[in-house]
Amino acid sequence: MNRKRLAVLVPTSVALALIIGCGNNEETTSSPSPAAGGSASGTKEASAEAAKPTKITIMAGLNSAEVPTDKIEKLIEEKTNTELEIQWVPATIYNDKVNAAFATDALPMVFTGDLNKFSEAIVDGQFWEIGPYLGEYENLSHLSQSVIDVMKVDGKLYSLYSERPFARQGLIYRKDWADKLGLSAPTNLDEFYEMLNQFKNNDPDGNGKNDTIGLTDRSDLIFGAFKTVASWHGTPNYWGEKDGKLLPEFMFPEYMETMKFFRKLHQEGLINQDFPVTSKEDQRALFINGTAGAYVGSLQDAAGLKTEVTKSNPNAVLDVQNRIEGPKGPAVWELTQGGGTAYLFPKSAIKSEEQLKEVLGFYNKLMSPELANLLQWGVEGEHYTVVDGLAKAVDDKKLLDREVSPYRTSVAVGGDISIPERLREKVEDPLAQKANELILDNVNFMISDPAAPLESKTFVEMGTRLQQSINDATYQFILGEIDEAGFQKAVDKWLADGGQKIIDEYTAAYAASK
Amino acid sequence: MNSANVQAKYPDRLSGQESLVKSVIKHGALYLMIVPGLLYFIIFKYLPMFGLVIAFEDYKPYKGIFGSEWVGFAHFERLFSEPMFLTILFNTLTLFFLNLVFCFPVPILLALMLNEVRQHRFKRVIQTLVYIPHFMSWVIIVSISFVLLSMDRGLINELLVAAGFDKVNFLMNPDWMRPTYILQIIWRESGWGTIIFLAAMASIDPEQYEAARLDGAGRFRQIWHITLPSIRSVIVVLLLLKIGDVLEVGFEHIFLLLNAMNREVGEVFDTYVYVAGLQQGQFSYSAAVGFFKSFVGLVLVMAANWLSKKFGEEGIY
Amino acid sequence: MIQDKSWGSRLFDGINIALLALVGLITVLPFIHVLAGSFTTTAELARKQLVLIPTEFSLDAYRYIFSTSTVIRSIGVSVYITVVGTVFSMLLTVLMAFGLSKKTLRGRQTIMFLVVFTMLFNGGLIPSFIVVKSLGLIDSYGALIIPSAMSAFNLIIMRNFFQNLPDGLEESAKIDGAGYWSILFRIVIPLSMPAIATISLFYAVNYWNTYFQAVMYINDAAKWPVQVILRQIVILAGALTADTTGWATEDVLPPAQSIKMAVIVVATVPILIVYPFLQKHFAKGALLGSIKG
Repeated sequence: MNRKRLAVLVPTSVALALIIGCGNNEETTSSPSPAAGGSASGTKEASAEAAKPTKITIMAGLNSAEVPTDKIEKLIEEKTNTELEIQWVPATIYNDKVNAAFATDALPMVFTGDLNKFSEAIVDGQFWEIGPYLGEYENLSHLSQSVIDVMKVDGKLYSLYSERPFARQGLIYRKDWADKLGLSAPTNLDEFYEMLNQFKNNDPDGNGKNDTIGLTDRSDLIFGAFKTVASWHGTPNYWGEKDGKLLPEFMFPEYMETMKFFRKLHQEGLINQDFPVTSKEDQRALFINGTAGAYVGSLQDAAGLKTEVTKSNPNAVLDVQNRIEGPKGPAVWELTQGGGTAYLFPKSAIKSEEQLKEVLGFYNKLMSPELANLLQWGVEGEHYTVVDGLAKAVDDKKLLDREVSPYRTSVAVGGDISIPERLREKVEDPLAQKANELILDNVNFMISDPAAPLESKTFVEMGTRLQQSINDATYQFILGEIDEAGFQKAVDKWLADGGQKIIDEYTAAYAASK
Repeated sequence: MNSANVQAKYPDRLSGQESLVKSVIKHGALYLMIVPGLLYFIIFKYLPMFGLVIAFEDYKPYKGIFGSEWVGFAHFERLFSEPMFLTILFNTLTLFFLNLVFCFPVPILLALMLNEVRQHRFKRVIQTLVYIPHFMSWVIIVSISFVLLSMDRGLINELLVAAGFDKVNFLMNPDWMRPTYILQIIWRESGWGTIIFLAAMASIDPEQYEAARLDGAGRFRQIWHITLPSIRSVIVVLLLLKIGDVLEVGFEHIFLLLNAMNREVGEVFDTYVYVAGLQQGQFSYSAAVGFFKSFVGLVLVMAANWLSKKFGEEGIY
Repeated sequence: MIQDKSWGSRLFDGINIALLALVGLITVLPFIHVLAGSFTTTAELARKQLVLIPTEFSLDAYRYIFSTSTVIRSIGVSVYITVVGTVFSMLLTVLMAFGLSKKTLRGRQTIMFLVVFTMLFNGGLIPSFIVVKSLGLIDSYGALIIPSAMSAFNLIIMRNFFQNLPDGLEESAKIDGAGYWSILFRIVIPLSMPAIATISLFYAVNYWNTYFQAVMYINDAAKWPVQVILRQIVILAGALTADTTGWATEDVLPPAQSIKMAVIVVATVPILIVYPFLQKHFAKGALLGSIKG
């Protein structure tokens, strides 16, 4: 083929390929702007026969590698008489997508939003206030008042939420090591320290080598060990009351005590030296490969860790523990609900009150036991079986991840507390069973964040940014780079840079709410 | 005005050049050729540039770009009055210069070395091997570095201890942040960087080497007098393009390396803005910082380009 | 070619090769770790941290990945946009670079400046999104190709290569009455194969790495290229998701290390093998013979 013909053929085929590529646009079912589609069928729906399914568009965050199959989606559509258009968006890009949708007037009818980040838009009236309507729906009115209070913006409710366990944190440790050293489950901070000490220094794995440490932690002051251990020391949860004022946790002496505790651990080699830069994976690896004997984090992780540890060491035994008491008795921090699971309803996509009611009706149905079970557990017989009135998930985790889990995290509303008839989990593994019991027990002594239901304009503007320097100072203190005076300097700077305003705003709001 | 003056005043004109219309008629094909590309740049690069106004507004996504309030230079004032500003600027410039001095020459060196290899199979194998790291994302590279450099069972520290030395805190000690950054870049990008130079060297006439050898030139002199000059213009172009990126030092890479201990030396514009942007989506502030970075880059590129022309190079425009 | 057999030259060669071998080894070791890690079990990875030769061989990771069609389909998508995109991009780039390399083109300095300008100033994500949306490209493969069709960097390099070609070639062709199209396709392109190979590779890698445009412009997951799938798996447990979804990721366990590594291998190997095929264009003096003729 000579050059000239090639010169014609190549551009032509490229052009054709592009046309086909662009043309595919027409074939996909999910294309035109959701807002237009939603409203058109919505208003028609109101006047036409009730048999016509309601179209609802949802933007859901995707935390797994693959978009789930539409098996569950179709079942939901069938049972709620809706036509669902779920757009699965990778979690890393979720906020950018939402903002782009805002900018191009292409928001879906429901999406997950961080109430702090959208508070301005909310106050500006971009979203429907759903508070007044909840009473009309039987299931929706079962949503917890305390959570609703936290989620209110400017005293009004704009979002629905999906429950997360209130307080999952606790201690997971190598029971076989403890037994060998004659230690029982720690019940207070001194025993906890003693256990870590012996795990490092007394050769718990009996191999004659000094190759073990106590605690394995990662670079996360919140979901790593720090905040939980701080709770054990009696530190308030983000904010605490003192003399009628609301002060941040790091201005309390208990926070300093916790830092000193960690500093001691670090100096004595009882915690992994590089924990400020260790990822969750590497943190778990240290526990799994038998280097560390203690892990402070979500108790739900226990079963998973056990599986991994016993793969290489079948003799390992794990145990879980929660009530580790500090000077103020047992304590654990409460996870504020509604954070990453607040569902918002933009007015640009839901054009009328009629439509809003349809959407709320849809979520009301999702909270019915039948659909709640569908979203949480999947299809009976395929994804789970009912044993003793409890749901036992099948072993094929892959299958569950591909067909059920994303719906559970990103579409469901409410949870165990607001849907009492939803099937609870049947756990075979005694360790997982104990973990679940401890998680429920945690509720008895959890510490809530008094500032959660309150609003502070300055916090919204610069809270996260200011917090970074406190986090840095915390690590620096633990690593011995700065001393108490140095930490105090960081706190003073925090106050001067805007922290004082935040304190004042929260304190005022707190007083007003009493 | 005689033709010499015209030449001086309008360097882009050849003496006696025609007007635009005549040029288009005479060299029509050329103008036609650049049309598709021009269209691309206009539609996909210049059309979206209206977004630059975000830097001068108090942008809110729900208000849209044209509905948001105009604030002029407020964001720039905020940036310049930020106490960390000078530190950030210093960090960014330092990393840039280290990059320029240590990372830029390595691909050239490597290309020269590869070019000298006569065993084709060996050359192709090495060429392929060295360009593999470029395909590994920073997340992977940083996580592999962790395995090597960690104080808890990190390989390098274990070797040091075995050799009788103390452990070194590579990951958190601020003194190691910059070397780690540079070494990681050299490891990742050098092989990839050789491709352009090898392509340029491929056009050298082998007979030149023959002639030089017959004149008694050794290997180094051959490289100096034949190979290097052939890639000179490529080096200059790459250098100019790099200068435009002066304040652009690789967000993802640095973000992964930053921690509480090395922030003082590692915080750069992009990481600084990232935290600010986590708040109420502070688009405008991020946009303003971006605008500032672009502006500085532009000024330096223009200066460097002018300078390069003074040295007889083509420049990039 | 007469070989230079002097001892100085031989020493040079010896040291050169030794150093290059060392460099090759250092650069490839981490990839060997990833490759080995993909063929082993998570237990071994947790135990050894750095694996070069797996003692426990396992295909579990690959079985997991290929158990559904997601990864394969995404590779198919990536191949499609890489091939079509590279051809399209090269077309635009070569034409424009050639035109801009000619001094007779009026205004070329201005145009080049405007091109360089786009490398520095960028309208931002949302305006670009608006433009792409207005053109009706959302959810189409076109959105992954057309907006990324040209890279100013590649254009500048290409133009530079064209400018460095000896003038004599064109002169003789013009005297023979050849027009610009003819000169471009009959003379310039054949002589510029190293440059064409290089820039094609750059575009190909760029298309293969498409991630951001895909997640922003494509809603239909069936059209996601391989890098999107890869990132979902690899970055899931990493630092960059800590802020906004710190919540939700607490519910998700990091995927098995071996699976992560297998995905990296699968997403990288196809594009890696392109380079060796192009290497023949980098052979020294390969094409200059044609000038003499």
